[in-house]
Amino acid sequence: MKAYTQIPPGTQILIGRAARRRRVLERAICSVFEGWSYEEIIPPIFDYYDVFAKGMGAGQEEHIYRFIDREGNILALRPEFTSLVAKTVATRLASSPKPIRLFYQGEVLRFEKPKGGRQREFAQIGIEHYGGTRKTADVEVLLIAVETFQQLGIQGFQINLGSVDFFGGIVDRMELPQDDIAALKDVLNMKNQSGLEDLLQRLPLEDRRKNILRAVPHLTGGKSVIAEARHLVKNARSVEALDHLEEIYSIFEKLDLAHHLTIDLGEIRGFDYYTGILFRAYVRDLGFEVASGGRYDGLPAAFGEDVPAVGFTFILDRLEQIATPSLAMADVEGTTIDVEQGFAKALELRQAGKAVKLCL
Amino acid sequence: MLVIALCKGRFLDPSLDLLKRAGIRFSDDLASSRKLIFESADKRFRAVLVKPADVPTYVEYGAADIGIAGRDVVLESGADVLQPLDLNFGYCKIAVAGPVEPRTDEGSSPRSYSPTLRVATKYPRITLEYFNSRGIPVEIIPLSGSIELAPLIGLADRIVDLVETGRTLKENGLAVLEIIAESSAKLLINRAGYQTKRAEVLTLIQFLEKART
Repeated sequence: MKAYTQIPPGTQILIGRAARRRRVLERAICSVFEGWSYEEIIPPIFDYYDVFAKGMGAGQEEHIYRFIDREGNILALRPEFTSLVAKTVATRLASSPKPIRLFYQGEVLRFEKPKGGRQREFAQIGIEHYGGTRKTADVEVLLIAVETFQQLGIQGFQINLGSVDFFGGIVDRMELPQDDIAALKDVLNMKNQSGLEDLLQRLPLEDRRKNILRAVPHLTGGKSVIAEARHLVKNARSVEALDHLEEIYSIFEKLDLAHHLTIDLGEIRGFDYYTGILFRAYVRDLGFEVASGGRYDGLPAAFGEDVPAVGFTFILDRLEQIATPSLAMADVEGTTIDVEQGFAKALELRQAGKAVKLCL
Repeated sequence: MLVIALCKGRFLDPSLDLLKRAGIRFSDDLASSRKLIFESADKRFRAVLVKPADVPTYVEYGAADIGIAGRDVVLESGADVLQPLDLNFGYCKIAVAGPVEPRTDEGSSPRSYSPTLRVATKYPRITLEYFNSRGIPVEIIPLSGSIELAPLIGLADRIVDLVETGRTLKENGLAVLEIIAESSAKLLINRAGYQTKRAEVLTLIQFLEKART
């Protein structure tokens, strides 16, 4: 048995300045969200395990902290917010007028190796947009991400756009077993050319199709990538995905923000619930992504209400490594009172709104 | 400036040759010096010298934007990094090896009745995954060198190790039983660096792709 003074791996404690920094950052980000008319939702810290298993997909269950209640139900400490929010929108808020704009903040728990400042318990803060028109909702959440970075004074951020549908449209027609599709995703997500070649050798595909897959890892860069990709695919699902990306990119060009966007059609990582566009945000000189998100139209439907949905989340523990919020607080310097002068003096100052520090 | 993590040891010379052919030169005393950080002649790159098994970690954390390491250490590390290019050197195999002749008393040795195979290795992760996926129970004995010794003196039934020519195995009365994976030098790239330093990274990949033999 471990000494009870030890801390379990993957937890952390924020004290004083560090805690204040966290709250100042949260406050700054929330005020951006509120500025775009998003309302806060405070979901429970645990829910039925199935709520999360449904959305996150196969292979994620080992990362979820599970426990059993007295009635024998399997519960889970929340490993993410999106499933919880989608469930609420599909049930409690089913009859509310759309679109629904919500933001959340708080800790999530995942049983995985702590990496890049993200412990097993870490803080997320993010937004979700339900029931809007796809294109405008996607642009809206992207603009909010951009403004968040700007408000935090973070320079040199890049938001990378990927697409589940571009790749999905390509493999739909190949009729491959699920295992092979998963293997394909793995090598493409690593841009692993030789791994892809090894895999293609044993897959029964026409050369034309193999050449499309060979090109996918290179479809990365600015707007020209979309034109390049158009030469490769004719299927409706992929073409629609390209149209969508192009529209979003064009809007960002008009807003003079396109330099913050990159396109990477070889990026198909993420939980199973993603259905369309995918975002990942990176900041120069930080080795890990600081925000991620995308479209998850199927998720509310899994809970009984078919509404389109898009959102993203920031990993606060990583933002803290690059953001330098001002910690100046009004009236921080309180009056130091000797207890000899009595508690009455302290109460008097407090009633006048002054900060005090008792000298005991 | 891009930071490149290079392996100390047998990968260093071929890595430096490759970089030289791609137009990236480091001072000639790099291999013999005790310094750990070097700048290229044109000041566009910085090389850091680390232990081979640590290269994926440097790259995953973005302490280095780019790394050169064997596939064996990348698999073992489980690091989440981009691996766009095979660099066409450092070919070898990750293999399961064991005694050529089973020990004569094997039939009667209590060990031979053990339902669990004992495997000594520098690659506990790869080994466990390999045997687990085949439904063979194993007890991993992590060692950091002279792996071949383990089956000879009864520490392990098998070993999992890198095999280049097979000479060391042969001289110790061992033989390759199964090949787990082929390994060779890989170019590793940090995921964030790939997006935020795209132009520099893509140019480097292009040069290396041309320069590899």
